[in-house]
Amino acid sequence: MGFDKTGGARRRFGRRKGCRFCADSEIKIDYKDVRTLKYFVSERGKIVPRRISGNCAIHQRKITEAIKRARNIALISFTSKRTIE
Amino acid sequence: MRTYETIFIIRPQIAGDEYTALLGKYKQILADQSAEILRCQEWGTKRLPYIVKKQDQGTFVLINFIAGNTVVKEFERRLRLDDAIMQFQTVLLEHGLDLNAPEAAAKTVEDDLDDDDSEQDEEQD
Repeated sequence: MGFDKTGGARRRFGRRKGCRFCADSEIKIDYKDVRTLKYFVSERGKIVPRRISGNCAIHQRKITEAIKRARNIALISFTSKRTIE
Repeated sequence: MRTYETIFIIRPQIAGDEYTALLGKYKQILADQSAEILRCQEWGTKRLPYIVKKQDQGTFVLINFIAGNTVVKEFERRLRLDDAIMQFQTVLLEHGLDLNAPEAAAKTVEDDLDDDDSEQDEEQD
């Protein structure tokens, strides 16, 4: 059972860079800005953990809150599957 | 008096003058209670990512206004009563609203609905 933390992470992201919001862009984290939030939501519609998204704690909390608000107002899906009866 | 932002979803069947009447009614409610409406954005009808009140489409409307909390309570009570409104959400903007902020890119909800799941790597939950 390998315990290498880096290898086991999902290949989807593999972003080890610093926090996107601290460093380069003064982009506001907003629940209406779906394009930015989609980047932090996996295909299953789950919020990407900080160790993978590379965010700092402050911005990760803001992202999480924004994603939950967007989900509540049906901008982002809870699960990625489109449930069309 | 603080800045609030309410976004609500209207049933897709409501359209044309009925829709404008409904919107006018809510703006009137805010105006009556001396709220100052900063901005009213209408994003139009969109497909919803999940079924809300047996609809999979909805018309999004966003209103920014400055008001006291009693006004917000009354406004939300009216929204709750109206069955044309499927969902609503009010947020307090601590830092107020800078109107010249770049436009939120929320309107492109379509592109995330038909996102191709080309990456086949299934996650292990």
